[in-house]
This record gives sequence, C-alpha cells and structure tokens, in this order.
Amino acid sequence: MSNNESIEDKPVKIDKWDGTALKNSLDDAAKKVMLEKGYKMKECSRLMDGRLVICTIAVGFAMFALVWDYLKPFPQSKPVLIVCVLSYFILMGILTLYTTYKEMGIFLVALEKDKAGVDPDDIWTLSSVLKKYDDMYTLQISFQDGKTKKTQTIEKQRSVANFFDEEGILHFEKFEQFVKQIKESLNTDKKNK
Amino acid sequence: MAGLLDFDFLDEVRRMNKRQLYYQALNFGMIVSSALMIWKGLMVVTGSESPIVVVLSGSMEPAFYRGDLLLLTNHPEEPIRVGEIVVFKIEGRDIPIVHRVLKIHEKEDGSLKFLTKGDNNSVDDRGLYAQGQFWLEKKDVVGRARGFLPYVGIVTILMNDYPKFKYLVLACLGIYVLIHRE
Repeated sequence: MSNNESIEDKPVKIDKWDGTALKNSLDDAAKKVMLEKGYKMKECSRLMDGRLVICTIAVGFAMFALVWDYLKPFPQSKPVLIVCVLSYFILMGILTLYTTYKEMGIFLVALEKDKAGVDPDDIWTLSSVLKKYDDMYTLQISFQDGKTKKTQTIEKQRSVANFFDEEGILHFEKFEQFVKQIKESLNTDKKNK
Repeated sequence: MAGLLDFDFLDEVRRMNKRQLYYQALNFGMIVSSALMIWKGLMVVTGSESPIVVVLSGSMEPAFYRGDLLLLTNHPEEPIRVGEIVVFKIEGRDIPIVHRVLKIHEKEDGSLKFLTKGDNNSVDDRGLYAQGQFWLEKKDVVGRARGFLPYVGIVTILMNDYPKFKYLVLACLGIYVLIHRE
C-alpha cells in the first residue's frame, strides 16, 4: 500500500490540454496551501454538503421511481411517477441555481481561529475562474473578519503556463507563492487600518 | 517512466477526499437518473409504457424500415381505428410488434377486439399471436405510432445484434464518468 501513501507527495501530473483538469489541480493546490502548508486553517464544507444533499435527494427520487415502477407496472404507478419526475427536475433546477448563485465557483471556505480564541473565526473564501480555451487562471480570495464582519476581496490573474511545465506537471512552489502573495496582501490591508 | 503500470490515470481519483468521491459517484448516479427520469416523464406524458420503440423487422416496409425510431402515445380516450399502426405485446414474446390494424370489433361498452397485419407480410398476424389467441385487446397495446425518425435507431439494432459491443461501450462510458472529474 505504499503506493497509496505516496499520492500526497507525488507531483501532480495532468493532461495540460484539459481545461477542467487544469482548474481542478490548481484549486486543489490552493486548498493545500490554505489548509496544510503554512496556514493550517480548517475547512468548512457546508457549501459542498448542500450540493451533496440536493444531488442525493434527486437520485433518491429517481431510484424510488425505478423501484416503484418495477413493483407496480406502468398505468398503476402513474401518480407516483409524476411526483418523482417533477421533483427530480425541480431539484435539478435548484441545483443549477445553487451552483450559479450560491457556490459561484467557490471551492474552499476556510475558517481561521482567532489566536486568543475569543473572537469568532475569520472566514476565507477562495474561488477561481478558468475560461474554456483560455490560459488565464483567476484566483479570488476574500476575507471576512470574524469580529467586524468586514469583507475584503482581492483577485489576481496568471497564465497557467506559470505553474505547469511542458509535461503538464504542476510546480507547487510557484503556485504556492502566488496564493500566499494574494493572501498576504489581504492581511497587510487589515493591519493598515 | 512506466506510465500505465502506475495507473497514473487514476491519480485524480486517488487524490479525492471522501466528499469528492461521494460526489463522483453521485455524478454518475445523476447521469443515469436524468436518462431514467426523462424516460419516465415521457411515459407519463404519452401514457405508453414504452414511448419510443425501434422498428426491428422489415414487416412494415415501405412505411417503416429497420432502424426507424417510432414515437408512441397511448391515451385511453383515443379510440383505435382500422388503418392505424399499433405496437402490441404478445404473451411469450419479449419484443413488441409494430403492425397495422386490419379489422376491429367494438362493443357498445367500449371494449374491442382487433386483428393486425404487417404491410409487407402476405398473411395477417394470427400466426404470430399466442396459441389459441385470435384477437388483440386494448390491454395488449403498448401505443400507437404518432411520429417517426428514420434510421436513428440503427445504433440500437447494432447493439442488440452485438451484445458484447453494447456492454463494452457502456462500460467505457461508465468508467470515463467515474474517473473523470466534472
């Protein structure tokens, strides 16, 4: 099983022409910077859980319709089918609204404990955009102070070519620098006030 | 580097946490569910237990050829009339048959018996029906042809003729969805 343990340290290699893989690996790396390397914040996965709940219920309706239709063949199962089909498509609509208006490309919500442990947690939110057929990766980091509830946001754009080599291997240190740079610029803003 | 031996293509999956893995499975489930719900939705709208069928034989040529896709409806209030093309099931046969209505006997209470024949066949369908069955009834009807798309169903015929090919295609698509992130 040594193979499994080493996956964390293995350099990330992807198909560099695959836009989703590029974005996913960069998002994951940004997560790693915030949660493991250096900052040790705690991930708050409520946003992802919301999506999981919606999907689970939707699939549940579909499976229920399948079983019900099997037990009571078609004309009898009609009312149940109508309910299941309508609920399924309504849930799909809700899911679309949820991902476009609630998640909005946010891939990480991290909580930073107050050092004294008195004030509520500071909230860091990371979202990213990588347009199809485009090499510019936009990372947006926003910071909400736990006490004052004031939010600041900074976003920076870089070409993915800065972080990946020709083989499609992610150079973590370079990306880590990029993330830290954005994060620190937010922190200094806070101190200046 | 020993590329494939390391199962590099699984790296994306191996890097996922529990939530992502679950979402991956859900994603697969949702693709299946969407197809299923569209089908069940069509069933409800058309009233037919199988709203889309593929013509598998040449017995209705020149109206329908092998591989044509038929759209069916089966609303109980629409009467069956001579000359209409119906899809019906026969006990002991898995595959429904698409043929034209030749004769009808209708009673005042609405119950009816009818006989069918394929346009391209020289005799009526009595020989195809179950042993001792001379007429079809409403309960045998899957639906009536309302529209058709020529040749689209040829893929289905190929898949039926070569089941291994079908399972291969399905397996490949399934694996692709499971290991590929969004």
